[in-house]
Amino acid sequence: MSLLCVSDLKTHFIFRNINNQLREAKALNNISLSLDSGRILGIVGETGAGKSLTAQSICGLLRPPAKIVGGTVQFDGQDLLTLSPDELNEIRGADIAMVVQNPRSSLDPLTRIGDQLVRIHQNHSGGPISVSQRKALEMMVAVGIPDPEQRQKAWPHELSGGMAQRVLIAMALMNEPKLLIADEPTTGLDVTVQAQILDLLKVLVIQFNMASMIITHDLGIVAHYCDDVAVMFAGEIIEQGSVCDVFLNAAHPYTQSLLASTPERLNLGSKPQIGGQPPDLFNLPTGCLSQDRCAFMTDICKTTPPFKTIADGHSARCHHAKPNKTKTQKKGSRSDG
Amino acid sequence: MSKIKAESTSLLNRIVNRIRGVSRLSPTATAGVLVILFFGVLAMFSGGFMTHDPVSSYPDRILEAPSAEHWFGTDGNGMDVFSRVIYGAKFGFGVAIPAVIISVLIGVPVGLIAGYRGGLLDEVLMRFFDGLRVFPSIILALAVVAATGQSLINVVLVLGFLDSPVFARVVRSEVLALRSSIFVESAIAAGNPTWRILFVHLLPNSIQGAMAQTAVRAAWAVRISATLAFLGVGIQAPTPEWGAMIRQGAEFMITGQWWVGIFPGVALIFLVFGLNLFGDGIQDVLDPRRRTEK
Amino acid sequence: MVIPLLVGVMFLTFMLVRIGGLDPVGLLAGPTATAEEFEIITEELGLDQPLWKQFLIYAQNVAQGDLGESWLSNRPVLDDIAARSVVSLELLFWGIGIGTFIGVPIGLRAAFKPNGRFDQSTRILSLLGFSIPTYWLGLVMLFVFFYLLRWAPPGMGRISLMVSPPDFVTGSYLIDSLLSSNWRAAYSSLSHPILPVICLAIVSAAPIIKQTRAIALEVISSDAVRYARACGLKVKTVRQIVFRNSATPVLTFIGTEITGLVGTMSLIEYVFAWGGLGQYGLNAIVRGDFTAVQGYVLVLALFSVLIFLIVDIVVALIEPRVELN
Repeated sequence: MSLLCVSDLKTHFIFRNINNQLREAKALNNISLSLDSGRILGIVGETGAGKSLTAQSICGLLRPPAKIVGGTVQFDGQDLLTLSPDELNEIRGADIAMVVQNPRSSLDPLTRIGDQLVRIHQNHSGGPISVSQRKALEMMVAVGIPDPEQRQKAWPHELSGGMAQRVLIAMALMNEPKLLIADEPTTGLDVTVQAQILDLLKVLVIQFNMASMIITHDLGIVAHYCDDVAVMFAGEIIEQGSVCDVFLNAAHPYTQSLLASTPERLNLGSKPQIGGQPPDLFNLPTGCLSQDRCAFMTDICKTTPPFKTIADGHSARCHHAKPNKTKTQKKGSRSDG
Repeated sequence: MSKIKAESTSLLNRIVNRIRGVSRLSPTATAGVLVILFFGVLAMFSGGFMTHDPVSSYPDRILEAPSAEHWFGTDGNGMDVFSRVIYGAKFGFGVAIPAVIISVLIGVPVGLIAGYRGGLLDEVLMRFFDGLRVFPSIILALAVVAATGQSLINVVLVLGFLDSPVFARVVRSEVLALRSSIFVESAIAAGNPTWRILFVHLLPNSIQGAMAQTAVRAAWAVRISATLAFLGVGIQAPTPEWGAMIRQGAEFMITGQWWVGIFPGVALIFLVFGLNLFGDGIQDVLDPRRRTEK
Repeated sequence: MVIPLLVGVMFLTFMLVRIGGLDPVGLLAGPTATAEEFEIITEELGLDQPLWKQFLIYAQNVAQGDLGESWLSNRPVLDDIAARSVVSLELLFWGIGIGTFIGVPIGLRAAFKPNGRFDQSTRILSLLGFSIPTYWLGLVMLFVFFYLLRWAPPGMGRISLMVSPPDFVTGSYLIDSLLSSNWRAAYSSLSHPILPVICLAIVSAAPIIKQTRAIALEVISSDAVRYARACGLKVKTVRQIVFRNSATPVLTFIGTEITGLVGTMSLIEYVFAWGGLGQYGLNAIVRGDFTAVQGYVLVLALFSVLIFLIVDIVVALIEPRVELN
């Protein structure tokens, strides 16, 4: 039984625009994924694909006009979507912890970091303050912050980006979470620091036996640190499976072009581009969402493509996906100006 | 499955929907507009609403309570309060509109140039404006008007001048933000003369903030001109201006003849309130961050 | 940094009084003065000197505490002003204090549930507060609470005409009468300020509510508060975070508001015959008392500068990100 099992999650933005028309942007459709303890799932896709929105929907952090309009989120035996905001609040920061982008501006600028660590522990676990303080120091050591006794008195603005991100990870660990969600945890950090933080995350996931979700647009991070991957496009998961399966045997044309666009895999002289724009969320096309920019599009693509199983645990949402085949020869690279 | 709904796109329908949309987004703006229009009509067509001549007095009917004949009663000179209140609407607009126009005409170019040029000119101007902020605006307006002569024109000029820093500051900050944007840089690189850059490229993009301020500043102008009149500066009795009327009514308030001072005050409140409503609503619509739509 | 500001303020004040067609000599001398007397007065006032020299003399005098003599009262302006300052400060302190005390919580509460019923009604009310002329409000309150209900004392000053004021210690009737156990005077000096303070509180609360709400909304949508929510912190704790992070901009705003409120307070003093600095200044301006106006405006400006300084210091104390200069 998976720790986290999301089924058919749908999140839409519903509002009235200046012409008094009711508008509905279908930002997330039919999101299904599952996660086990000790494994790291990477969620990857271009900007606007809905990666962060998925995490926010799971945690109940949506703000109007975003609304969950369907699906279930089974976590640890409960459907999170049926819980009240107060109940969700208890789970957030304790069983489900988040590490976000912009660590320096996410910390409360008016509280010392040691006190913030104590605060998040006190908030969920209560008990004597000395216990929380001791735990705070332990966690600071665990995330590799040097000289924790002194550092705990620091203000957030005195920290570097990498140090602040370590604090955020420590905050996440204070209440021994079962699931750790990291939303673009290294974007904006120096490249060397990025590697340190991700190494740290990987070690901690194993050490604390957490399930972990890393949201990123960087394929390299997924390749190096994740066990499984889900590729998102226009609010849907279009391919998922283990990193080995998907990266070596990409079945969906979009995944293939993503992988082909990375500098490491360029053939000399030819630079395939993914042409076109993502579809309009207010007017999604019937059928496959990639139809307007896919080189392999045929008439059947106008109907909703089912998830086709490629191999054990590896599936892709494409009519033309063939089980267990190596990368097909492309008819011709589609390059748009 | 998405169906393309065939919406009637006749012009009338679109206008009605746009109005509905805006009023939905900001009921305050709509309410404000209605109030302003109401007073505008009163001001322009006062002749049709007044029951008596606003400046003729009935010496045998001094300080009469409101009655069927004099709806708002009569004041200390035997003049009909109702008609004077209606006529006073003219002063509200007559001062506010020119004053705001002057503020915009002074403030916007100053803000454009200061923001674009920067340097010493900008420093000096900003210091000057900061210096002005140290004085309470009422006192400042009062002192200047008292010193320069008590006429309506002076009031308009002084208010217009004193309020221009607001517009200058708003425009300046927009220009500062836009100055380093690509389209401005390319305009400069293409060799456009400075005045063209200022007025064709920068102005349309920085004017939004300033426009949002106009209604609120107009409200301020109406308030302050009435305050000045209340203090006996700028407009003299027996002119039927609301502030001056409140001044007259002040002495009668504690002897029980409330109608002389209260009615002009109510009218003043409503007009200023309408302008503030409209200004606040417009700011909501123009600045999407302020809208937290349900 | 402060010195150039002070000099600039003095210069502005200096110019302010001279830009109009006021003829201080004519006013002082009166309609029956001879040409000779005119000359003497002009020389005395130093108005025959070139403008820049006049300014230097003026600046020198101010530095030595000499603000000239009021021609209305024939007393040094500084004395007149000093005697009245405490009186006005009392009014200002209570008015703004109550205004902040009511306004900030209301603004915060409105921000926590934006576009809810509470928020919408407070927005309308605060806009209304922006629109009510203070002097009119004072008059109406006098009418209702004094004339109609006989609850409040007449708007004639700070203490009943039938009660003799307490011995002078601080200049504040309330404090002085408490200090000397003069209970009649204490009661009278407590009941008189109620109406003017309420007026001032209402008028000062309106902008405070609006700005506090705007500031709080911005803080609520900041990264730090979003993260706090993601951490599952209790609603009460998140609100504390919002409050503390809004404190600095709100304080700064109140500091700038005080400047405008000094002007409003002058009007209230005028309506209630409070005998404070504001009333003195208004009278001086309207009657053309040259030197008194100069002194009054200068003192007001200096007061504002002082307030800005105090706000800066307080902010530096509570904000770890700011260094004390």
